[in-house]
Amino acid sequence: MNTSTANTPTLSELEARAGKGQPVFGEHAHILCDNLVRIYKTEGVEVVALQGLDLLIDKGELIAIVGASGSGKSTLLNVLSGLDVPTAGLARVAGTDLLSMTAKDRLRYRRQVVGFIWQQTARNLLPYLTARENVRLPVKLAGNRDQAADADELLELLGVANCADRRPGQMSGGEQQRVAIAVALANSPEVILADEPTGELDSENSEQVFAALRSANRELGVTAVVVTHDPLVSEQVDRTVGIRDGRTSSETLRREGTDGGIIAEEYAVLDRVGRLQLPRDFTSALNMERRVRLELERDHIGVWPDKPRSSEDAE
Amino acid sequence: MSPLLPLKVYRGAAAVLALLSLGTALLVAGLPRGFELAYDDALHLVIDDASANQTDLAIRLIPRLHSQRLAREGDFRGRDAQWRAIIPPSLTPVLDTSPGNDSHYSAKTVGTPVAGRIGSDPVPLQFVDVGWLSGADRRIRYVEGTPPGPPDTLASVPGHPDLVDVTRFDIALAKRASDMMRIPVGTTLILGNSHPSLARVTALFEPVVPTDRYWDHNLDAVQVTVRRVAGSDVEEHHITALLDVSSMERLSGSDRDLRYNWIIGLSPTAINARNAPDLIRGVDEYEQAIRGLVGRSINSYAQVAGFAPFQLDSGLRELLREFLKRLATAQTLMILVMGGLLVVAAGVMALSVQLLTERMRPALSLMRARGASLGQVVRTTAGTVALATFPAIVVGYGLSYLLPGPVTLTVHLGPLLIGAFAVGFAAVRVALAHRTPLRERREDVVARRRSPRRTMLELLVIVLALVGAYLLRTRGLTTEVNTLGADPFLMLVPAALTLAAALLTLRCYPYPLRAVVWLAARARPAVPFVGLTLAARARSVTALPVVILLPALAVSVYGAVVGGTLDTTQRVAAWQSAGADARIESAAELPAGVIEKVRRTPGVRAVVPADKGTAQIGFGGRTATVVAVDLDAYREIVTDTPLTVPHLAGGAAGPAIPALVSPDLANLSTFEIGWHVRMKIVKKGVITGGLPGVSFAESNLIIVPYDASQRAGARTYTNMLLLGADKPGGGGIDATALLNATGNVPQIYVETFERALDHVTKTPLTGTIKAGFLVVTIAMTVYALLTVIIALVVGAAERTRALSFLRTLGLSERQAANLTVLEIAPLILITACAGLVLGLALPSALGPGIDLRAYAGDIAMGEYRLDPTTPILLATGLAAVALAGAFVHAVAGRRRSLGSILRVGD
Repeated sequence: MNTSTANTPTLSELEARAGKGQPVFGEHAHILCDNLVRIYKTEGVEVVALQGLDLLIDKGELIAIVGASGSGKSTLLNVLSGLDVPTAGLARVAGTDLLSMTAKDRLRYRRQVVGFIWQQTARNLLPYLTARENVRLPVKLAGNRDQAADADELLELLGVANCADRRPGQMSGGEQQRVAIAVALANSPEVILADEPTGELDSENSEQVFAALRSANRELGVTAVVVTHDPLVSEQVDRTVGIRDGRTSSETLRREGTDGGIIAEEYAVLDRVGRLQLPRDFTSALNMERRVRLELERDHIGVWPDKPRSSEDAE
Repeated sequence: MSPLLPLKVYRGAAAVLALLSLGTALLVAGLPRGFELAYDDALHLVIDDASANQTDLAIRLIPRLHSQRLAREGDFRGRDAQWRAIIPPSLTPVLDTSPGNDSHYSAKTVGTPVAGRIGSDPVPLQFVDVGWLSGADRRIRYVEGTPPGPPDTLASVPGHPDLVDVTRFDIALAKRASDMMRIPVGTTLILGNSHPSLARVTALFEPVVPTDRYWDHNLDAVQVTVRRVAGSDVEEHHITALLDVSSMERLSGSDRDLRYNWIIGLSPTAINARNAPDLIRGVDEYEQAIRGLVGRSINSYAQVAGFAPFQLDSGLRELLREFLKRLATAQTLMILVMGGLLVVAAGVMALSVQLLTERMRPALSLMRARGASLGQVVRTTAGTVALATFPAIVVGYGLSYLLPGPVTLTVHLGPLLIGAFAVGFAAVRVALAHRTPLRERREDVVARRRSPRRTMLELLVIVLALVGAYLLRTRGLTTEVNTLGADPFLMLVPAALTLAAALLTLRCYPYPLRAVVWLAARARPAVPFVGLTLAARARSVTALPVVILLPALAVSVYGAVVGGTLDTTQRVAAWQSAGADARIESAAELPAGVIEKVRRTPGVRAVVPADKGTAQIGFGGRTATVVAVDLDAYREIVTDTPLTVPHLAGGAAGPAIPALVSPDLANLSTFEIGWHVRMKIVKKGVITGGLPGVSFAESNLIIVPYDASQRAGARTYTNMLLLGADKPGGGGIDATALLNATGNVPQIYVETFERALDHVTKTPLTGTIKAGFLVVTIAMTVYALLTVIIALVVGAAERTRALSFLRTLGLSERQAANLTVLEIAPLILITACAGLVLGLALPSALGPGIDLRAYAGDIAMGEYRLDPTTPILLATGLAAVALAGAFVHAVAGRRRSLGSILRVGD
């Protein structure tokens, strides 16, 4: 009795414990999405694009987000870029809460915190401005020349200095995308978001565009999030996050092995409430449906189909 | 981003907007000028027709007291200055201050009989007034004798012992009067039966310019007035002779009936349709001011006893009121059609702004995503639209100065408003579209259904419009249109009806389309089905084209109906005024020779003789108009006209003569009349409304057979001829030829249908109304065409992509063109039908509100003649033009290669 009394915390202890505060989920992350939901709703029909997505990205990280068409990648990027507002959950980028922003905050966020690159090369640039003018446009719109990077330096850094006086029509797709990266970096943002930046390009141009992204990430210390289908991109980043049905489902981490080769390890993502997405191949191979049995072992958790083990044994 | 850059890049769309702005500014600034000019011309016609003594201001005084006597020119001048000092400001701009204007003052005696002559035989029934007119010496030329001198006093007159210490005036007489009244120079007249004075004619004069407006006030000095003495055959002659100013000292109101006049000349050219209401008020105020002045000057009992108020005499108010009544109708109509035109023009401008902003949308979205604030995006767009519109508007405004007409506030404000509307529309549209940065349509999400609140609002608009139309029909308009201006209710009802019709069209548009699509889905060819399905889903089927096309059609159709009805009513009025293709009336009996000559006049097919006169009913004092005419023959010559001729059954017993009588004589079944001979009349029927053209009397009218007098024992008489022309439809007989045939004498009056029609249609403002409708209809057609083309161009990229995909599936170019036409056709056809119905309904909805009687020979246009031919042709034409535009657009789109489109599309 005494023992149990000693183990049970008193009310004052509980209060003290609550006051002390525990580390908040993703407290130090540069980009944080916690149980993010985005529902497109019109009369009678709801499309749930994000269904409680969790994501943590550290400052200066370069990550790729992959997923099938319709999985919610672009919605996530639109939310992170401040172009779209999530329905529920928590989204924070560089300390800015994306759900509670006023119109003014949102504008400041787009001007100072994020840069954006779309898939369609034509959509990123104004066709009647030269590369240099395109890069200067966001600076002019924001009106803060002090913080802005020099257009020519940016173009130089991204290897398209020769295109400075050319209009988009006079550049190749790869060059256009690299200029688009320069445009995204013009106001010295903390985060750049790229939606399939190499989607319309051949492998050689893709390589160059990805190199440009990586140099922006390394040289300028910008956090970069790239949504991609391109294995060339996804296999060269440190971390690849897979999204399925509006949730993060897997993460692939890459590290350099002792032999100098790259070792990629794929993990399933366990969310804060303990939900886990099993890869579809695994569940269908074992004919798992609706219910599974879990068993806690000493160093792992076993997952079995819901059929009793005895009948399996009898078979 | 500088607004110049998008202007340069999207120069095609900007050019369309600029051209539209130019045209609209020209219309908005030019049309009101044209209308105002027409109103002014009409007013000047009216004023020119009136004489100066109707349009000028005259202040008159009958001096009854000694203190009111004015003996010197200075006295008149002093009074004149006094009158001019109190002229209200509204009248000041129209005062005629030009040199040689007709302002003057005068003193004249009235009705002074000539009691005799000194030294010659008297001529009976002559009246010679004497008077002094300021400024007359400059306007007359003495043709005989010496100008009148100062008066003198004769102690005695030989042969007239009663004339002792009598004043003798020297007078000058108009030459014509001298000849006509046989008063040569040197004659001394005895004026007045009591307190006589003498007048010695020392000179004869002629006016230097007889048409001078000055003489309109003093016709009595230059023309002899001949009056027939009531109840006798004798005539009186009146003239006013001119005195020297020095005679004024001897001229007093105590001896003669004297009048003082101050004429304040107004400049007819300064009077216009816009200042007319002010002038009416000004004359009223002036009248009160003059009375007030007189009131203040009464300061003794004697003055009150002899109180002779100054009177303001002017026909200007009546003249202007009558004109304004006419003008109000024309203005109402013009405001209606101009309002319609403005709505349509604004709609097309909005559509063209939409074209430009749609073109700019990707750039603006990119700007917004890259950190442009809403203000920056709106400023860029508004700046681009302003740069495209305002220079063009300035040019259009400038060009409108090439058109004749006065400059009103509308001329300045109209173009400015058009520009402001375009810029405002662009700003609001862009602000709404880019309020949130990312506004991409998701294809997988169904369109939002209309909210119940919106449905209720639409229902409310429709109900209000219907209630408005009902009220307008039952209660009519305020009758004080000329004082209160046009009824705003009248302006609102058509607008509300149009809006209601547009809402209904937009709401009901899918239903007929659905039925057609259902049918098309079951037909073999794929093009109609795909085309109509595209039509059902097309984004170009928005409110804007409907809002443009509907009023365009409604106003055009309304114009056609009103114009058509006006035309018909004018013709009816002309027929009623002429009575036949031509009519000849004579005061005396027409000789057989003249009748024969008339019969041989080219164009004359038939001659129906008639006799019209006044007859005594029974033996009392009651008289009636009797017309003796062969009604069957008359009916035959007016077969193809709107005139109806009653039947008169012939066979009356014995010598009694069958007759049709007006309703007031209907109680007399058999009676006698005394005409050429006494005759017995038997009533055979009642005729209501007279016999238009033949006799305008609607009461006390008796119509008998042509040979009535003969039957009664005398012979037939003819003083009227009704003529039928060779060719039907009127206008076959030349009035001049008839005048020549009848000897061109003033006693014989000739009227032809053509002249009567001219008289009715040449009414001031009729032309304005018709020209206004024509110009507006043409403008509407052009706008409708532009609407369709711009609506198609707005959605061109989307359509081209859709068509290109279909073409990869085997759609031919011709099928693609048909598809485009089919896509827009339901909108055009359904809107055309709605516009047609609305246009046909508007005249009856507004019927009592717009009184066109003044333009239709005073015939009330009660029932609008719904001849659907012109409106249907108009609607079909407009729809065809619009569809042709769609077809041209589709064919022009063929030129691009499939590969390039698909590349562009993706």
